[in-house]
Amino acid sequence: MSSSPGPLATLSNDLAAAVDTVGRSVVAVHARRRIPASGVVWQPGVVVATHHTIQRDDGITIALHDGATVEATLAGRDPSTDLAVLRVATSAPAAALSTEAPRVGQVVLALGRPGASVTASLGIVSAVGGEWRTWQGGTIDRFVRLDMAVYDGFSGGPLVDAAGRVAGINTSGLARATALTVPASTVSRVAAQLLSRGHIARGWLGIATQPVRLPATLQQSLGAEAAIGLVVVNVEAESPADRGGVLIGDILLAVDGRPVSDPGDVLAALGGDRIGQAIALRVARGGRAEQLTVTVGERPRGRR
Amino acid sequence: MAAADTLELVPGLTAALGQISERLRGVTVQVRAGQASTGAGVVWLRHGLVVTNAHVATASKLEVVLPDGRAAPARLVARDPERDLAALELPSADHEPAVRADARGLRPGELLVAVGHPLGVAYATALGLVHRPPTGGRGPAAWLQADIRLAPGNSGGPLADAGGRVVGINAMIVGGLGFAVPTHVVERFLSRINRGGRGARAA
Repeated sequence: MSSSPGPLATLSNDLAAAVDTVGRSVVAVHARRRIPASGVVWQPGVVVATHHTIQRDDGITIALHDGATVEATLAGRDPSTDLAVLRVATSAPAAALSTEAPRVGQVVLALGRPGASVTASLGIVSAVGGEWRTWQGGTIDRFVRLDMAVYDGFSGGPLVDAAGRVAGINTSGLARATALTVPASTVSRVAAQLLSRGHIARGWLGIATQPVRLPATLQQSLGAEAAIGLVVVNVEAESPADRGGVLIGDILLAVDGRPVSDPGDVLAALGGDRIGQAIALRVARGGRAEQLTVTVGERPRGRR
Repeated sequence: MAAADTLELVPGLTAALGQISERLRGVTVQVRAGQASTGAGVVWLRHGLVVTNAHVATASKLEVVLPDGRAAPARLVARDPERDLAALELPSADHEPAVRADARGLRPGELLVAVGHPLGVAYATALGLVHRPPTGGRGPAAWLQADIRLAPGNSGGPLADAGGRVVGINAMIVGGLGFAVPTHVVERFLSRINRGGRGARAA
């Protein structure tokens, strides 16, 4: 071997240097039994972690890169994006964030701190898609899947690009058997809301629905686009839907002009930005189509 | 170096990986204990001392297949199931030994290369990186933990750094991670044999 480091040694050194730099912003979050999970110092004094690894609201401690252990207070959590935000009195540096969208084939590192020392995995971004909604109704700006081994305690750790910048937070809590990344833009948006309000505001109508197949003749007479509608099985008293005149037995055909055939479609139309705004509901009632106008409310805390 | 009509991600990287893999294959042997499946071993000392796992060297009479394909009977010199290490002696001398480095100097994120015989595929190479270097003591922290895809048959084989220096002996897979015995633990094991006068000669 020659005395000058070869390209492999150079790459190896670069990877280790990136781990060392970003690792200063990666913390261990002690908030569950078993081994701790990971978190990232997102801005000074603020740590972002995953919701599913924080199993208690009090008595949370954080272990920093220099070995120090500090107490953390939970600023808020958002189960729908599997994110939680902690306030921590620390001077640990905030991670440098990437503003670019991940691309398929990019070489990336996943870091974690499931204990005292930082750990690293290497892989590539295997799939990137557009905005998507989690099964709990959270909106994530981009679908990012990794071709990378997933180890215990890595949830809450950063996805690091080749430039040593944090592109998102990795979690095993949003999909079975695969590692997904919540992009940095989503993390920043959710963190800002949790810091200012303590929770994520979501629009609310106050109805429960279930899908129902429309008979062909009814579909025809209604001029409905889809063969499936949502039958209203409950209307909460004094809820926005109640005040707007929605009745049990109505079949919801469209919200805001878009056909709905799954309760998730309704959730999708009820982002936090819709609170206080009027929204148009098209329903089938007594065999005829009717248009109702409901003012979107804010979902009470702890309600699905 | 990359020609104009080829697409090479990092010039020379693939060639360097090939060199390191070839160099490791030159110090890696196959270890057979009776009818049991094949493990790997690393030529540690020139006079024919081979290091492997205790769980590979499960018989007193072992057969070693050298990198050039010759088979030779090997004698079990010492075995430590707790550290999962065994030392074997080849009947012939003058074998190219592995270049070694201390795993305690590794940093998380450094690249690693493993050579072994996973699932019976002789002399297969895997690329990964340092997940967590050994920090001493007992338990998981005593091992060199690697983010690398290994399989049965890698046991006893070398795990090397980006310079091709052996930093550990692959021993087991825990939660998907490769666990290797760090070189300094191997050296300690060998020095105990020397003090005990159980056949291993000094390098």
